[in-house]
Amino acid sequence: MSKTREGWNPYLLGGLAGLLSVWSTYYTGKFFGASTSFVRAAAFVEDKVIPERAATLEYLVKNAAKMDWQMMFIIGIFIGALLSATLFGDFKFQAVPDMWKRHFGESAVSRGLVAFLGGAVAMFGARLADG
Amino acid sequence: MDLDQIIVHLNEILVSLKGIANAVDLQLRFGLVTGMVFGVLLQRAKVLRYDKQLAALRFQDFTILKFMMSTIIVGMIGTYFLYDQGLVKLSIKPTILGGTITGGLLFGVGWALLGYCPGTSMGALGEGRTDAFWGILGAVAGAALYAEMFPYLQDTLLKMHDYGKITLPQLLGVNHWIVIAGVSVIFLLSFMLMEKKGL
Repeated sequence: MSKTREGWNPYLLGGLAGLLSVWSTYYTGKFFGASTSFVRAAAFVEDKVIPERAATLEYLVKNAAKMDWQMMFIIGIFIGALLSATLFGDFKFQAVPDMWKRHFGESAVSRGLVAFLGGAVAMFGARLADG
Repeated sequence: MDLDQIIVHLNEILVSLKGIANAVDLQLRFGLVTGMVFGVLLQRAKVLRYDKQLAALRFQDFTILKFMMSTIIVGMIGTYFLYDQGLVKLSIKPTILGGTITGGLLFGVGWALLGYCPGTSMGALGEGRTDAFWGILGAVAGAALYAEMFPYLQDTLLKMHDYGKITLPQLLGVNHWIVIAGVSVIFLLSFMLMEKKGL
């Protein structure tokens, strides 16, 4: 194993994540998920920018903007990763990942555009598959 | 109704509203704490990174698969154990092949372009990977686009091969523990193969 691949044991950490999900299901009835929150975020923006249009979209009305368990869950992922990365010296501001740099160059703009496009396509697919 | 009765009723309403507020508040706190622990676990496995995610898609490093499949084994056993005790309800999504297959293919393309899952991109941002921010914005845009197209999709893809809320045990006509055992064995064998190949 090369040095760049080192992290803590993925089987142990993955297993703990499994326990966490079982615990969550037991205590709050909530299964892990993220994509509904992105719809709620879209509803939040459209309610502010184009409220008349937003009111006509069944899917946004059904998944209206609100703070719920899942929204807090993904905010928690951000905070947890931030704390852990800071604590263990992994935090690094980086606009272009190393592997991307090796293949496609240093431009943060190209990377940002592809990331945006990828995020849009992935979310559209996730919603279509009901994930 | 005299004033005293009204006050009693108002008081009752107030108490129940407080109860709802506390319950919602508690749910939010549980969500935050669960997310934070999950974020730490993901970060410690170093699976949040673009290089790690792409390395999995390029068959170079299966750390992510090891993490996810371990989560599935433990989650599957634990959830069904509690289900057998009547302690949890399952949340089974309908199997609509038109939506699931098309959506899955699109998700894969988007994932490879972004290099983060839309959900864990929040964690990547937490590690300081600012490109994840554009992915998150893109995901909101993708959700908005989906909302625009939803009426059309409902009449087309989401009508194709809708089998309702089915599960593998139902489909195979066996007890769920047989499926759980089978999946666990396949996953454990996959782990052995991954270790052997040094992936």
